[in-house]
Amino acid sequence: MNQIAIKMLMGDKGKYLGIVLGLTFASFVMTQQPAIFLGLMARSYSFISDTGLPDVWVMDPKVQFIDDIKPLQETQLYRVRGISGVEWAMPLYKGLLKARLSNGTFQTCNVIGLDDTTLIGGPPIMLEGSLEDLRRSDGIIVDIDGATDKLAKISDQPGAAKIPLKVGDNLELNDRRAVVVGISKVTRTFQSQPVVYTTYSRAKNYAPRERKLLSFVLVKAKPGQNLQELTRRIRDNTGLVAYTNEEFKTVTYEYFLHNTGIPINFGVSVLLGFIVGAAIAGQTFYSFTLENLKQFGVLKAMGTSNWVLLRMILLQALLVETLGYGLGVGLTALFGYAMRNTILAFKFPWQLLIFTGAGVSIICALAALISILKVIRLEPAIVFKS
Amino acid sequence: MNLKYLLPLLSFTGFLFASYTVVSSNQPMPVAQAVAQPASAPFKAFIAGAGIIESKSQNIAVGTPLSRIVKTIAIKVGDQVKAGTPLFYLDDRESLANLAVKQADLFKAQADLKVAKASLNDSQTLNDMAQAITDRRAISEEELLKRRNALLIAQAKLESAQAYVKQIEAGIADIQSTIDRLVVRAPINAEVLQLNLRPGEFAQSGVLATPLVMLGNMDQLHVRVDIDENDAWRFNKQKKAVAFLRGNRQFKVELTLAYVEPYVIPKKSLTGDSTERVDTRVLQALYRFDPNQIPLYVGQQMDVFIEADETEPVLKTPQG
Repeated sequence: MNQIAIKMLMGDKGKYLGIVLGLTFASFVMTQQPAIFLGLMARSYSFISDTGLPDVWVMDPKVQFIDDIKPLQETQLYRVRGISGVEWAMPLYKGLLKARLSNGTFQTCNVIGLDDTTLIGGPPIMLEGSLEDLRRSDGIIVDIDGATDKLAKISDQPGAAKIPLKVGDNLELNDRRAVVVGISKVTRTFQSQPVVYTTYSRAKNYAPRERKLLSFVLVKAKPGQNLQELTRRIRDNTGLVAYTNEEFKTVTYEYFLHNTGIPINFGVSVLLGFIVGAAIAGQTFYSFTLENLKQFGVLKAMGTSNWVLLRMILLQALLVETLGYGLGVGLTALFGYAMRNTILAFKFPWQLLIFTGAGVSIICALAALISILKVIRLEPAIVFKS
Repeated sequence: MNLKYLLPLLSFTGFLFASYTVVSSNQPMPVAQAVAQPASAPFKAFIAGAGIIESKSQNIAVGTPLSRIVKTIAIKVGDQVKAGTPLFYLDDRESLANLAVKQADLFKAQADLKVAKASLNDSQTLNDMAQAITDRRAISEEELLKRRNALLIAQAKLESAQAYVKQIEAGIADIQSTIDRLVVRAPINAEVLQLNLRPGEFAQSGVLATPLVMLGNMDQLHVRVDIDENDAWRFNKQKKAVAFLRGNRQFKVELTLAYVEPYVIPKKSLTGDSTERVDTRVLQALYRFDPNQIPLYVGQQMDVFIEADETEPVLKTPQG
């Protein structure tokens, strides 16, 4: 019987392709759009994922997300250091500063100031130079995306490619000299500004005069220390707020979820993909069943039970679902691969594979359901009519 | 190829590629390791503070009493100097010239004094002769009065000349003390830590951002620890303390309390920024340590951890 079902399905190549392509489209849209959405959301907290060494981030209680800097008094660093269970606590400056390029244009940069001694919180991958080079006078490390694009020099020849920023080049940060001593690779941030790493005291010199300049205190817990307990102790003792890495990521992306239109936009896209996919696949599958109604009638007249017919339709649905699903997620992965070096945000976690699978299954189940109802209500006598 | 096999094959490949993307694209970013291991407290409960190394005498920024051009410098950086040793000489030409003028004035005044003495003698003699005449008719009353008054005037002139000599002598002493002040001397036995002066430069008197000469007694070093006022209640003088050298936590010294400055001061940013940012007040505790244990320099920063009580202290309630 299964052989017959498959033969029936593949008998009309046009229809067969139509169903599969409809499902492919649905699963592609349902994977690719959320992947871009997740990519964007992951970018909102990319700085936290890039800074893997500390366990806990301490900040002002009113901070809403990673780029919402509410600076602290410098002595808070030592108060946090004095809390039991803290292995070490280091200052981190994070702020947007204007860089003046050699051609006179200005570019806002995300400047990160690391503790002068330990340089904790540095970029995850160094492409050129090393983190220790920050000890050189006026040294900064620029991320590769910024160096090749926003901070790149414009060539003298019109139309020629930009000249990327190299080690040894000079910049001006707030009218102060800065020398590139290294090139790093970091995950792109939400605003996609160039990321400039330097030491904490140098960052304070670059920053405009403010009374408070300490953005975050990075804390490493003592081995075996319960992080929840530690964050609570920091909160109770200093009046500041302390988040673990995961908590801080959640705080950050929830801010974007609740305060930007991004989730609604992508939600609508995913829903549209689902509806269009369901409409195409469901309608094609239904019309395919209608066309094969005669065959089903014959089978029914030959005494095949409803149960067997139902199994046949389910098998057909499952087959097209699997094909469409595989093609759809494959296309999404191909799309991600093709776009890997562009500015496009793309993140493909395993949960998304399951999400799409569930979505396509629902479409196929709906399509199969309508067809099954039609077949079950079918009178075998229809075969002999006209 | 047959559609029957092509589609499942494509679909299967697609799924495999998607799975590969899932695995390969979700690798966590590598973690940037610390360049130097940060210092960590060896106590369970503790207060952390930034410390700065200073000499036992504190670091003395030697000033100059007079603003002058520097003539010569008698020391080098690193010299051991005894109390009273000249450090540098200021330009003294003007004062020496003044001294010569005053000395000439003194000669003149002394000569004038001699003249005054002589004329007193003269008046005295004339007066004595007049007084000696017993017959009042031999000399007129007017002549007698004239001679007596001349004597009084001569006496006054002598006193004036004597006073003038004293005045000139005092003037000379003044110039000599100025000349003495043009030599700046070491106030204590110390080592020269810094020398920001070259011959020919102008030495400004008053409090300066960069001291002319910095002295310090290096026999014993102190580390001055800032304790946040919010943590000051946890500070216990009896508890142990350790200091770590920045950059390498292998270098650590045990500290013994020297003294605590009882006045809580506004925190000066110790981070080397030229503009001072006062954001809180700090209690300063000074700890002693053996400088020969680890290689360190005056002015260096250290991470200090002071042991604290684990339990909350019992509040002293007023009796009655």
